[in-house]
Amino acid sequence: MNQILNVEITPSATPTLSALPLCLADFDTLASALDYAAQGESGANFYAGSGKLATVLPYRVLREQAQTLAKRLLSFPLERGARVAIVAETNPDFLRFFFACQYAGLVPVALPAVIHVGGHKAYVNQLHGLLNGCHASLAVSSSQLLPFLTEAAEGLGLQFVNAASAFDELPEKKCQLQPSGPNEMAYLQYTSGSTGFPRGVIITQQAVMANLVGSGYGLDVRVDDRCVSWLPFYHDMGLVGCLLAPMATQRSIDYLDTRDFAMRPRRWLELMTNSRATISFSPPFGYALCVRRLRPEDIALYDLSAWRVAGIGAEPIHVELTNRFSELLAPAGFNPLAFVPSYGMAESSLAISFAPLGTGVVVDWLDSEDLADNFLATKVSPNTGSSFVRCGPVLPKHEVMIRDEHGKVLADMHIGRIIVRGPSVMSGYFELPEQTQLVLSADGWLDTGDLGYLIDGDIVVTGRHKDMLIINGRNIWPQDIEAIATRQPELRSGDASAVSIPGPEQEDVAVLIVQCNITDADVQHHLTQRLHREIHEELGINCVIELVPRHTLPRTSSGKLSRSGSRKDYLLRQKSQSTADSEVTKKA
Amino acid sequence: MTEYQRILADMTKGLAPFTKGRVEVNENTELVGDLELDSLQIMELLLFVEDSFDISIPVSILPDVKTVGDLAKQVEKIIGNS
Repeated sequence: MNQILNVEITPSATPTLSALPLCLADFDTLASALDYAAQGESGANFYAGSGKLATVLPYRVLREQAQTLAKRLLSFPLERGARVAIVAETNPDFLRFFFACQYAGLVPVALPAVIHVGGHKAYVNQLHGLLNGCHASLAVSSSQLLPFLTEAAEGLGLQFVNAASAFDELPEKKCQLQPSGPNEMAYLQYTSGSTGFPRGVIITQQAVMANLVGSGYGLDVRVDDRCVSWLPFYHDMGLVGCLLAPMATQRSIDYLDTRDFAMRPRRWLELMTNSRATISFSPPFGYALCVRRLRPEDIALYDLSAWRVAGIGAEPIHVELTNRFSELLAPAGFNPLAFVPSYGMAESSLAISFAPLGTGVVVDWLDSEDLADNFLATKVSPNTGSSFVRCGPVLPKHEVMIRDEHGKVLADMHIGRIIVRGPSVMSGYFELPEQTQLVLSADGWLDTGDLGYLIDGDIVVTGRHKDMLIINGRNIWPQDIEAIATRQPELRSGDASAVSIPGPEQEDVAVLIVQCNITDADVQHHLTQRLHREIHEELGINCVIELVPRHTLPRTSSGKLSRSGSRKDYLLRQKSQSTADSEVTKKA
Repeated sequence: MTEYQRILADMTKGLAPFTKGRVEVNENTELVGDLELDSLQIMELLLFVEDSFDISIPVSILPDVKTVGDLAKQVEKIIGNS
């Protein structure tokens, strides 16, 4: 074995085919899954923004490095299950630390590595909240981001906060490693929660392995499958779908940094072409970015004919987008039937359902009024009414139900809350028993917070979490936008309501409606600009700001702000405004 | 013309497609506050900057960049180090 350590890392990517028999995630823990994958030739490959292969990390090498690092982590006096916070950039260190935790019986927590222009303070605050929320004992980042992490960790009493390279200087504890067992926590996932009140999803080894088995079979993973991903590791789709899933099925994966993709979306398709990848997932936002930014003259250069699973999920899927992507990439051999609409969330490890393979995007056209007024899915002829995409049947060994607001189970084609139960479901939110109780019943049913209906066993999502905004693929909680508004000196609590409205291309546009007594146009302008800037710095989104007189925002009967009421009023005001504008135009 | 001024001039030119002619761009113009660039437009701007100066911009500089001048200074530093 010593010989292997001396082998120079080859400049070519790991193959995906190997003599190792394919095993579809049938392991009891992530550590045993890696033990098995390490016997083959496959692994993870990291590409630079230039498109060149930067680092090759075969699972065999990853296992060795992770075990060594595990012993170094254990040189600190850590209780079993202590949290190790990792700023999750797309690099080999993330994998090393994540799996070192697996071998050491520690719990990795991926922290976001997304920083917005001018967002220094906001990023530090966010990291601080997460480090505090999970009571991290150790924290690591690249040397580039270390200043932010160090600032964020101040006053929290962590044992060690440092760059990845500094951990390699630590002594190895002389011990027999005891990897995290089936009933222990595999990782804590802080994801779609509001930044003001982060919630860490507890996923055990059993839960994540059950989910990986489900996706292995759901996607019919084969020996010649190869994956490509640009999704960040701090998102469930990036971590579970594009790191743990390929590893647990011994397939090779090619990584592109999220920011490099956002800058040059064509790199994704170039990589798919060059590696002949067969599986790649993205939220609709990623496909939309390709549609928007690809140069038409480049399309003929791509060969996407090997792409058999083009997973799409994590935000509402619109058939107009998948149609446009399919048309645009048809000359590159993209098969529209490769689209696999998917439904899932961190609270269920990742996947809840996949559309059947080879069927592409199947759409239900529904009567819009029946939908809004009676919560009924009434079919109408294609291209009329509202369209929703079928996300396939719930994973094997899992159950799904639709319930109304009183908890009554609804029949097919009736819209209500989507509730799921099964081995992939989380144990709860870390140290938040009340929050856990709100969504997880004693008999194991998880309230997804999403609205939808069932038809022929397929899940169809009609609305995501009641108030959540999804901007450019990221979940934004209205509370976070409203908190930025109400902390301004001239505003008070209850003066702001954040909602989303459909933009010109059906994308969500964030709107913040603020009530205040300011009448001076200059002062109004300054407030609007300040709000716009602070929201961007903290949340990285452009938000339309509307100022209205005090007592304009509607309230519910219990006196709470009504976001749906605010939204309706805003749209009415916009409508009467545009009518007024066109009247003026007509007169002119 | 100093290196900084040259970078600033190039960058101002590169920003033209984003300003829609509404805003006069100078070194004190705020990328978000004044130009209202969203996170995807920031990516397109970085792409322009990386390509035209043939550099790679580390993610860690962004949090302390507010104005066009801030970005030009960072670019100057990166070019100087390479």
